[in-house]
Amino acid sequence: MSKFLNFNLRDFGAGIWSGWNRPTRVIFVLLCIAVSGLLPFAAEFGPTSFLNTPVASYIDVLVYPIGMFVLMALGLNIVVGKSGLLDLGYIAFFAIGAYTHAVLSTLYGWNAWESLPVGMFFAMISGVVLGLPALRLRGDYLAIITLGFGEIVRIVALNIEITGGPNGIPGIPNPPGFFGVEFNLEYSRNFYYIVLVLILLTIWMIRRFTVRRPGRAWEAIRQDEDVAELMGVNTLVYKLWSFVIGAAVGGAAGVIFASKVMVISPDMFKFEVSILILACVVFGGIGNIWGVILGAGLLAYIPERIRFLTETRQLVFGLVLIIMMNIRPDGLLPRKKREKITQKGSK
Amino acid sequence: MNKKIVSGFAIAAAATLAFGAVATAPANAAAKTEVTLAFQGPLSGPYAGLGKDQRPGAEYAIALYNAKNPKVKVVMIDADTECSGTKAATVAPGVAANKKVIGVIGTSCSGEARNSFPAYKSAGLTMVAPSASAVDLTNPKAKSNGFPVFHRVLVNDAIQGPALARWAAKGVTAPKYFLIDDQSTYGEPLIKTGVTPTAKKLGTIVGTDSVAQGTTDFSSVVSKVKSSGATVVIYGGYDADAAPLFKQLRDGGYKGVLAGGDGVLTSEFPGFAGAAAADVRLTAGSTPFDTILTKDELANFTKITGVKTPGLYSDTAFAATNVFLQCITEGATTRPAIQRCVNNGTFAQANGDKFKFNRYGDPTVAGAVGGYIVKGGKIEFSAVA
Amino acid sequence: MNFSVVATEFPSLLLQGLALGLIYALVSLGYTMVYGVLRLINFANSEVFMIGTFATLYVQVNILGFTNTSEPIRGFRLVYSLALCLVVSMLVSALVAVLVELVAYRRLRAKGANRLASLISAIGVSIVLMEWVGLLTGSRPRSGARLMEKSSLFEIGGANFRVDTVLAIVLPVIIFLVLNRFVTKTRLGKSIRAVSMSEENSKLMGININRVITLTFIIGGLTTGAAAFLFMTVYENTTFTIGFNMGIAAFTAAVLGGIGNLRGAFYGGIALGLLEQFASAIIGSEWKAVTVFVVLVLVLLFKPNGLFGEAVQQTRT
Repeated sequence: MSKFLNFNLRDFGAGIWSGWNRPTRVIFVLLCIAVSGLLPFAAEFGPTSFLNTPVASYIDVLVYPIGMFVLMALGLNIVVGKSGLLDLGYIAFFAIGAYTHAVLSTLYGWNAWESLPVGMFFAMISGVVLGLPALRLRGDYLAIITLGFGEIVRIVALNIEITGGPNGIPGIPNPPGFFGVEFNLEYSRNFYYIVLVLILLTIWMIRRFTVRRPGRAWEAIRQDEDVAELMGVNTLVYKLWSFVIGAAVGGAAGVIFASKVMVISPDMFKFEVSILILACVVFGGIGNIWGVILGAGLLAYIPERIRFLTETRQLVFGLVLIIMMNIRPDGLLPRKKREKITQKGSK
Repeated sequence: MNKKIVSGFAIAAAATLAFGAVATAPANAAAKTEVTLAFQGPLSGPYAGLGKDQRPGAEYAIALYNAKNPKVKVVMIDADTECSGTKAATVAPGVAANKKVIGVIGTSCSGEARNSFPAYKSAGLTMVAPSASAVDLTNPKAKSNGFPVFHRVLVNDAIQGPALARWAAKGVTAPKYFLIDDQSTYGEPLIKTGVTPTAKKLGTIVGTDSVAQGTTDFSSVVSKVKSSGATVVIYGGYDADAAPLFKQLRDGGYKGVLAGGDGVLTSEFPGFAGAAAADVRLTAGSTPFDTILTKDELANFTKITGVKTPGLYSDTAFAATNVFLQCITEGATTRPAIQRCVNNGTFAQANGDKFKFNRYGDPTVAGAVGGYIVKGGKIEFSAVA
Repeated sequence: MNFSVVATEFPSLLLQGLALGLIYALVSLGYTMVYGVLRLINFANSEVFMIGTFATLYVQVNILGFTNTSEPIRGFRLVYSLALCLVVSMLVSALVAVLVELVAYRRLRAKGANRLASLISAIGVSIVLMEWVGLLTGSRPRSGARLMEKSSLFEIGGANFRVDTVLAIVLPVIIFLVLNRFVTKTRLGKSIRAVSMSEENSKLMGININRVITLTFIIGGLTTGAAAFLFMTVYENTTFTIGFNMGIAAFTAAVLGGIGNLRGAFYGGIALGLLEQFASAIIGSEWKAVTVFVVLVLVLLFKPNGLFGEAVQQTRT
């Protein structure tokens, strides 16, 4: 019985994957990318039109929340999944990216491509500023401090002049087009492609890190921090790295988000979003890229799909969380068994 | 195996929930002459109260209309935005893409309005808002104005604010103001850009504070008010927060004037605030709907909407809906026709006052802000503020 | 910066901060008790509080028949009414807390699932409870009844010792004294401490872990319910989202004092209440939350286990 419930789709997939040779793998990856590239057309195409979202516009839903949530969940996964740090204020980095672009574009006329690296840079800096004191603490103390940091960023945005107070910053320009590709409201699809590219880059980056020294250090820290320290891993530095890289991904998402919605205000960056993104990571399968993508995609999509249920929607969403976590506590696609062995003792 | 089957059922149930309604959502396209209005506002999430108060007003107007005019039927769909700009940025394009929708009753919040404008502007979809009162929405100089699609039936904060400052200090010699806002897109601009300049002219501002929405303990505010020696306290925010604030101020021994804007002016407010509601001064472009309706009408309202006491801004939602209904009666059933009609027609507020929209969408005759006072647990109209 | 307020209103701020802080302390017990045994942040505790306020409201309005316009009562009838509200609120909250444990934690724990999984299922329970009450109340706030005349008992230097303020100080102190005795002296209480020290060893000693965990949820629920009753007595209104702010505050208080032990929750609550009062009086209410978190970071930097924390065992996600 439990064999079925705990069936590890990820290991199953990994089994098939390792059986393939290089060309087959390349074809498979390209196929996956092509399918994601075709997603914006799914709503108009007969057999997949059930994917269409009522009330909200399907293509815009693909950008935010789905695309952005996948991107942010991947970023948060580096922190929570890879190095095992509980971050409840991830939205702060997203907000910093968004406000960086909003301020630079409305006051200094920068475009989104120019502010993208700056937004990421500021997010990373704030990651260091938060991380240096916070990462010395363990487990749940880190959780409350990151939670506080998320709230601080929102409250500061609410109270200072340059961010426009509760009304936020209006009139943020869309990114300028290139090679005849326009980015504006009539071509929301193109925003989806930007997000898709960012997601692919993030996946590529995470995979690079995972097989190299930082990945091994994170794995060691997640399994047992003291032992890792003892073995000569500079835990603080590697924890900080995971924090900062996660922050950069959040910052990048924020810049694109601001240039898409054109008006940002502090109430977009509430604590609930941090929680939701954490839920995406856990729901899909902590530490596993594919699980996180699936989890974020589903958790972002379901509320939009059932938007016709106006009053009971959140209730249904909560029930989905409870039921799914009870059925599959390790998430939809859990991480490799090999990595899981040591978790038994730590609950 | 049992559990496996159960979990299979759970997934199947979730799937049916999620996907089953695909068939039902676009299915009701059958009627011949039927137009759709979208109600955009928060119906779930923490601000749901705001939208749930307004929607009955719109529902009521449409029910009255459909009861007497069967030629072009009007249906209303809900566009739930949770009062969030983020959600509005995905919902508004969806509403705009729904070709049956010819007008939007909304938005409820100013923040979501700003994120809805890009979609509605490019779709030429007219909005008539019951409660988005931020000044910049109709300010031609602001980057966030909603010209030409945005309209609202209530006065904006730049008109209400000064009136509130005057009304609160009426009969008080050399008023000492203490201004409090709730850090919302409604309360903060009302106090900071609306009330403050006039208050400075009429008297002195001895203190200010900003307390986030949802705060229940105001004891430090009470201490500040008392030590500042204020004689007039004005709160910019909603009734739910005003009630505990006013209660605690009175319990703490504050004896001066208490005042608030239309966010506080609900029929429920005197109940929330109990004894502290006595003599609270309120201003509004919006009036409690049940004071406008006759007894029979109120009974009818309850029958149609299932709501006993109409809530905040249900009257303006009623008026906003009537703007569209009047245009539909006049034969406008396409988006451009509606836009022309709304821009040029003369409409009626819930209390019967006639008004037009000016070029940027503000109502022209709503310049007179009503001054109200709470007496014996009832809000009474007192004078033009 | 406004120090003149502190100059004139210092005793009053101190008193109000104490009263508020002790309500926080009661709620933070709901976090700290559960954290002690499970090493988990019980995210649904904020909703336990919310249900508690509505339970109090239900007794006031539907059982005792008070409305927000009825005259305050006095004497024996007052004591009896307050006691009934308190008891019902505590029992209902404890019941909800036990249900939360059953739905969100029990099954996951049996499977040896990872800690974050229970965190998310607790958040799911929290969403469900909140939205359910939101549906029942039409998402509108509700006003409680004023059972007693909030008359002043005595005044010291401008600090007004009102009946409700005194109640909000005395009741939590009593509850803490009782609880402290229970945990240190009784068999059941000792088993809680044993489990929080080492689950494995407690199992070896024949302690029924599930029973102990249910017990901690019950205790957390009872104290949270008492806080809900006090909240309704002092502030007299509630809404379906009321738990959120209270939850964050109480959780902060628990961490500030040192999560996982009783004294930590008690002093952490008081510290937080005072901090909030003085921060909003001196700097302004808009910076209250920022001040609290900055202080929290500073405290944790110098005392990594909170003000009164004993060394908490290593935990990971």
